[in-house]
Amino acid sequence: MIRALGDFLEIIKGGLITVRHFNTNMWFHTLKVLGFKTKRKGAVTIQYPEEKKALAARHRSLHRLMRREDGKPRCVSCLLCVTVCPSECISVEAAEDPDSEIQKVPAEFIIDMSRCCFCGFCVEACPEDAIRMDTGKIELAEYQRRDLVLDLDKLLK
Amino acid sequence: MDIVIAVIKIILALVWFLVLTLYLTWLERKESAVIQDRIGANRANIWKFRFLGLFQPFADAIKMIFKEDFVPAFANKFLHTLAPFLSFFFVAITICAVPFGDTLHLAGRTINLQVLDLNAGLLFMLAMLSLGIYGIILSGWASRNRFTLLGGIRGAAQLISYEVALGLSLIGIIMVFPSLSLQSIVRFQGENLLGFIPKWGVLIQPLGFVVFFFAALAETKRVPFDMPEGESEIIGFFTEYGGLKWGLFMMTDFMEIIIVSALLTTLFFGGWQVPWLAADGFQWPWGGGWALPHGIVVLLQLLAFNVKIVFFCWLQILIRWTYPRFRYDQVMDLGWKVLIPLSLLNIVGTGIVMGLLK
Amino acid sequence: MPKILIDDRMVEAAEGLTLLRAAENAGIPIPHFCYHTAFPPEGSCRMCLVEIEGLPKLELACSTMVKEGLKVQTMSAKVVEARKGVLEFLLAEHPLDCPICDKAGECKLQDYFEEYGLFRSQFKEAKEKREKKFKLSRNLILDRERCILCTRCVRFLNEITKTEDAGILNRGIHSEVGIYESELIDNNYSGNLAQICPVGAITDSDFRFKTRVWFLESNESICPLCSRGCNIAIDSHPGHPRALRTRRVYRVRARPNPDVNSHWICDYGRYGYAYLDEAREDRLVWKKGGLETRLIWDKAAQILTEKVRSLVHLRKNSRIGVVLHSNLTNEELFLADRLFRKGLGVEKLFLADPPPGKGDGFLLTSDRTANRRGLLEVGLPVQALDAKALSDLDLLFIFGHYLADGTSAADLKYALEKVETKALFASHKSGLDGLVDFVIPVPVIAEKNGTLTNVDGRVQPFVAGLDFNGDGLPEWRALLDLAKELKVEPKYFWPLASPEGVYQALRKEIPFFK
Repeated sequence: MIRALGDFLEIIKGGLITVRHFNTNMWFHTLKVLGFKTKRKGAVTIQYPEEKKALAARHRSLHRLMRREDGKPRCVSCLLCVTVCPSECISVEAAEDPDSEIQKVPAEFIIDMSRCCFCGFCVEACPEDAIRMDTGKIELAEYQRRDLVLDLDKLLK
Repeated sequence: MDIVIAVIKIILALVWFLVLTLYLTWLERKESAVIQDRIGANRANIWKFRFLGLFQPFADAIKMIFKEDFVPAFANKFLHTLAPFLSFFFVAITICAVPFGDTLHLAGRTINLQVLDLNAGLLFMLAMLSLGIYGIILSGWASRNRFTLLGGIRGAAQLISYEVALGLSLIGIIMVFPSLSLQSIVRFQGENLLGFIPKWGVLIQPLGFVVFFFAALAETKRVPFDMPEGESEIIGFFTEYGGLKWGLFMMTDFMEIIIVSALLTTLFFGGWQVPWLAADGFQWPWGGGWALPHGIVVLLQLLAFNVKIVFFCWLQILIRWTYPRFRYDQVMDLGWKVLIPLSLLNIVGTGIVMGLLK
Repeated sequence: MPKILIDDRMVEAAEGLTLLRAAENAGIPIPHFCYHTAFPPEGSCRMCLVEIEGLPKLELACSTMVKEGLKVQTMSAKVVEARKGVLEFLLAEHPLDCPICDKAGECKLQDYFEEYGLFRSQFKEAKEKREKKFKLSRNLILDRERCILCTRCVRFLNEITKTEDAGILNRGIHSEVGIYESELIDNNYSGNLAQICPVGAITDSDFRFKTRVWFLESNESICPLCSRGCNIAIDSHPGHPRALRTRRVYRVRARPNPDVNSHWICDYGRYGYAYLDEAREDRLVWKKGGLETRLIWDKAAQILTEKVRSLVHLRKNSRIGVVLHSNLTNEELFLADRLFRKGLGVEKLFLADPPPGKGDGFLLTSDRTANRRGLLEVGLPVQALDAKALSDLDLLFIFGHYLADGTSAADLKYALEKVETKALFASHKSGLDGLVDFVIPVPVIAEKNGTLTNVDGRVQPFVAGLDFNGDGLPEWRALLDLAKELKVEPKYFWPLASPEGVYQALRKEIPFFK
């Protein structure tokens, strides 16, 4: 009986927490509606499409491939990104470059964004700093799956 | 002329009921958002004019109307369609017994601010609420889906269990205010205890209030008593419904909240009574008074009734957004092992006290 | 036998063995670049230095012979320091282009640097620029920057092929591997150079930039392209969900076996792996009245046994014929003998083989079949193929697609049209497909288990290194299924269920295989 009463009290206490949240937030909302400026806000919501949160400096967004000074891709298709990729979304086909200093260039470089898990391992693995995930593009939705498969041209943009 | 007045009363009551229902969905969204440090629905707009998301219910309604009217293959089409209307009907009809205010004297006529002053109004309301079970069972059964059937059975079991406690908890009120007419019960609550405390049901029937409140919460089938439905986890009785039919079930839920609030207000919180407000104005318990014209008094009473109802709606939504769901056996335990014994105790206690006071 | 102490472990080594071999036999690896088991020691890389008690300087393990009572330290501080030094000198000139080097992943320099090096280079000077893409032969590319001058390639050409095509030119820092008067290396074993090069200096243009070695799965097998039966490793790619090219086998390497092929294989075997993936038969079909139906083997076996049974019932055993080939395993030939000749009394056993090529007197033989010796030893009395004899049949089992090679298409068509039912067990598509009633895909040697007898009479077991993707089955199982279905010698055939079991039966019956 006493325990049941104790439990009941706990239930009331829980309800009071909700009430406290309601009251505090409602107070700040009301102040805002009345035109007062307060340090605290009634809600932590960011109104997404209009307001955007600044991305952190190390945020991993859409990949891009870097170019050499002469415009050729930096990638030497060493396949280390393919090796390290846990979701197996990268595939690279190597080709011979006439320049014997470069030798190996990507003939095709495909990232399947529908498989990518944004771990950033490819960036870490790359010995040439040829792939980066710093474009800041995070809205990657497409209407067609094939649009999520990025090839060399799209990645070099 | 009487018929015209009756029709007007019916229309006004229904409009009041439906508009409150619509805005209860808005209230639910906004209140839960405020509780959870969010903003809540605020995108529905007319010409970029958002106005706190107040157009959201209309957007919802339009969406539901234009959704596909879906009936599962092999389902009983007639019963499947009938179920939501049944649910809706039985809860909508209860509004006719709710007293919104005292009598209004207008152009030599005395108009009772209640659609229908049934002399057994309380029984009528309980009966109609109980009939709502048919909607649940029918929808569960007619969907031709094992899970909805289980949901319907869970719902029926829960509602029937709590029906008992609900009825028993009101016996005390009927003993104290010897009437089954809701209007009379409200009038009885206009008196004062010891000369200055309003004689509201909650003060003379606290245990009855607690039992009734819990039982009524269970009757609305919402969290923490959402066994029949369990939107996200357990499959409920209206899984096979979509569009407007589903919307009717949703509206039924919200209307039940309003009806429960109305009952709580009427039975335990003095209905349209404002403390110390008599027909001709305020009469302070320490002597003196403040005479008010008849129209103002009626308006104050209507206002009081509405404020009380909105408060209880708010409270129920608060509860829904605070507590987690009971387990099925816990629901049954609470109903049969706690609420029913307590309500019986309340009857006996009330009887003893009344006998002693005589 | 002299007893020596290596790393405080008593090791007994045979007389005349080098320290490096003795240590390796005892399970103590000593790093080395230039030493190769197949050649006499050269001692040019200085990587195998070890400390021998009583000697003031570190000694070369690869060229020091074992002697009673030697006390050797292979991991003392001095030795490790020396290895570090050697590696630093090698890396002073070696480019760090591992990302584009095909050897990366199986490169000795990489491995030893991981194990013993891990220093930061102290050289501030720029590395010497050299030729990165020097064509050594039709299929070899020399990267002179990567070369560590171990001379393995030169010694291979001097001692194994004895063609002496290449040598070290110039002196000091200008030393480089070169070929004479720009004449390309041209022999049938040049592919081995890429395999024995300890770094990525000599790479194979066939494998160049195709994939990285760590993606490859290496499986042991036996080369079926000639009757030598060289031991090979097949490196295949297990596949990638976004793979652009569907190719299984990327290269074939030699697997050492002193009794057969030492450490080498010929270029014919090394680069002839395309047959593993190209033009493979993959659908089991039944052609009847112009319609092609895809069948499961059980159904096909039922129809075939029904046919055999009806012929046997009418005492028309002589109207059954079988065409065999010498790429079947010993077990399959034995089963064919047992089932068709002894079990069903079939007399018309023909042989259709790929045409012979030219041998080179070292490993490659002129016989381009894997198991001719096995065929002889199993004792199958096969006749040479005769298109006319074929036409005199009601039921013909054809193993292998080689029938299409030896006979003219018109003759074959004419002959086969007269045969009522023809079942083809083939691994590859050929002109025969359109002429037969059943096409049953079968695996190649690399995809099944069994034994092969090489030209010297050596029986070599092998296991499947690649998966068989068609909807057929290995010939041995087909033969066993047919035998069981036909209830030919049930007591004999029933217990047989695997090539190993068949081989045990084979050993009991044929003395050669004991």
